[in-house]
Amino acid sequence: MFRKILRITGRDVRSGLRDNIIVYVILAPFLSALILRGLIPSVGANVLQMAVDPSVEPAVVEYLETIGKVEVLEADGEALERRVRATDDVFGLRQAGEGGFEIVKEGNEQEGMDEIFELVLDAYVNQDLELPMDALVSDIGWKLPPLKQFGASVLVVFMSVFGGMVILINLVEEKQDNTLSAMNVAPVSRKAFVIGKGLLGVVIPVIHAFGVLLILGFEGLNYGMVTVAIFSIALISVLIGFVIGVMNDNVISAASSMKVLFVPILASIMGAIFLADKWNPLLYWSPFYWAFDSMNRIVLLEATWGVVLRNTGIVLAITAVVFALLSRRIARGLN
Amino acid sequence: MVKVEGLYYSYTNDDKYAVKDISFEIAEGESFGLLGPSGAGKSTTQNILTGLLPLKTGEVQVAGYDMHHPKREMFNKLGVSFEQSNVYGKLTALENLEFYRKLFDVPTLDPMELLTLVGLEQVASKKAATFSKGMKHRLTFVRSMLNQPILWFLDEPTTGLDPAIASVIKDIVKEKKERGTTIFLTTHNMFLADELCDRVGFIVDGELRLIDSPRNLKLKYGEKLVEVEYVEEAAQGDEANQAVAAEQPIVSDSADGSGTGTVGRATIGGGTGTGAHLIRRHFSLVDPVEVAALQEVLATRKIETMHTKEATLEEIFIKVTGRKLV
Ligand SMILES: Nc1ncnc2c1ncn2[C@@H]1O[C@H](COP(=O)(O)OP(=O)(O)O)[C@@H](O)[C@H]1O
Ligand SMILES: [Mg+2]
Repeated sequence: MFRKILRITGRDVRSGLRDNIIVYVILAPFLSALILRGLIPSVGANVLQMAVDPSVEPAVVEYLETIGKVEVLEADGEALERRVRATDDVFGLRQAGEGGFEIVKEGNEQEGMDEIFELVLDAYVNQDLELPMDALVSDIGWKLPPLKQFGASVLVVFMSVFGGMVILINLVEEKQDNTLSAMNVAPVSRKAFVIGKGLLGVVIPVIHAFGVLLILGFEGLNYGMVTVAIFSIALISVLIGFVIGVMNDNVISAASSMKVLFVPILASIMGAIFLADKWNPLLYWSPFYWAFDSMNRIVLLEATWGVVLRNTGIVLAITAVVFALLSRRIARGLN
Repeated sequence: MVKVEGLYYSYTNDDKYAVKDISFEIAEGESFGLLGPSGAGKSTTQNILTGLLPLKTGEVQVAGYDMHHPKREMFNKLGVSFEQSNVYGKLTALENLEFYRKLFDVPTLDPMELLTLVGLEQVASKKAATFSKGMKHRLTFVRSMLNQPILWFLDEPTTGLDPAIASVIKDIVKEKKERGTTIFLTTHNMFLADELCDRVGFIVDGELRLIDSPRNLKLKYGEKLVEVEYVEEAAQGDEANQAVAAEQPIVSDSADGSGTGTVGRATIGGGTGTGAHLIRRHFSLVDPVEVAALQEVLATRKIETMHTKEATLEEIFIKVTGRKLV
């Protein structure tokens, strides 16, 4: 069964790479991310990344986490130097005597960052003194510029539809050429066929998400969470792709039916960004709201597995309802 | 191998049946053909037998499987060729076969050899979308052979193909039949049915009128015919005949629906009403009225040609069903 599923997916890949629309759909998110990156001045420049020796107290780590990306090392001693020497821009920090710190740097870090780091530490050590540090600190923290924060999340959630688009196009083609009948007289179960056809619909969005986030400079995210969030939201588009795909034998009209999906997506995302918190319950019906919420937290490094799994659960529940409503139509269309 | 009993099917789920009360059996190693005009219900029957249409009313067993509960695994034993070719346009001929072959759980034939069999080896690596209708049909046809089916469904296997290709396909089917493959085919081509089928079923308007071997049918229903071409002067025909004569083209082909007593005409020497007509007419030698008519013609007309003819399946079909095969 597994072998046959992969054959079916493999055929779609091969055929898809010969289809201009599909190639475009696959490339579009990466192109959008590149454009977005051009619009955000020096993406990643104002991210302070720190590796912390185990000698540093948890309270300090907690404080630093509000400012930048903190990595707590497990081993002490040389491990810190080794970490700092790695290719990325990371400052090292270890406790040096009572209340003092030692900053370890490589020397090729981004200009000015070391001073900022020192200021940050000063601010902590002298937090009882009323120094005008807060303003500076909040500017350089992982609080992202809105274009980057929302840009990434919007792009990633929005692009989850594109997997469904690819399914749609491949299915419409099967309808158009009636190769569906040939599949129906092959020793391939309906389940294997549907999974084989649907696989690309979730794999492509996850690849898109990884690509888009990496292009935008989000190396340090929890990509496990990204995978879970995107996988679940992509299922909705897979479903919609199937329904529209099996009912159409014309690619253009099918694709324009699919575009209708953009309305709830955009509404959910715009609502989540611009509506005051008290109005958010108005969007609770929308799986895209929950997926966007997950992604937003993930890029802000605020996400916990608890929240991501809760949101994913909600998305899956809504998907299940949609599936229950549409499964008969899909089954009929596949005959 | 196949058993059908009391099969009804309505596309509209009402009493407008596309097939009505169809029953037949196909023994192992037998080749069975449904012969009937377009729209008779041949494809509908085949599609129910292959599970492409759901079995609603009746009992159908195919290769040991009850079609009320079809199982996909049965297609390891079955081959299905479609009336309308259906291949992946973006894949090459070879890729189409390679993909399909890997879906089976049984040993399969070499795709390249199959392509060679139907003369597609030169275009094996061309995308099927660039193929002519006939090429796509051949590809669809050989795809149905990949798993060496023990039961082979062929829906109009030669329809719309040029004669040379049709004859290649016919020979392949014949060979498989000789090697013991059970065959179900549908066609409106009586020559094909005559040549390939151990038994044929005549189907019209969704109803199976009769089943027998071509030979028995000819013995039972076929009559000795005499085909006569003679000249008839304009004065001898009446007005109505002349009107027909003006419309009808030169000597009609006997295969084109001319049963006993059919008349074909052609005007000799140009304009209607002035010249003589060449008449082609069939007379049955078992019908006394027609024998008398033949004698009359022989006595009074100028005979150009005269042949005895065996009845074709088509003539028998018309006789039994009252319908033509087109
Ligand atoms: N998909 C369909 N929906 C509704 N009616 C159909 C469909 N396919 C065939 N029919 C009708 O069923 C009858 C039998 O058709 P079919 O089995 O295709 O005939 P044949 O194969 O003998 O030419 C025809 O009257 C045809 O119009
Ligand atoms: Mg037909």
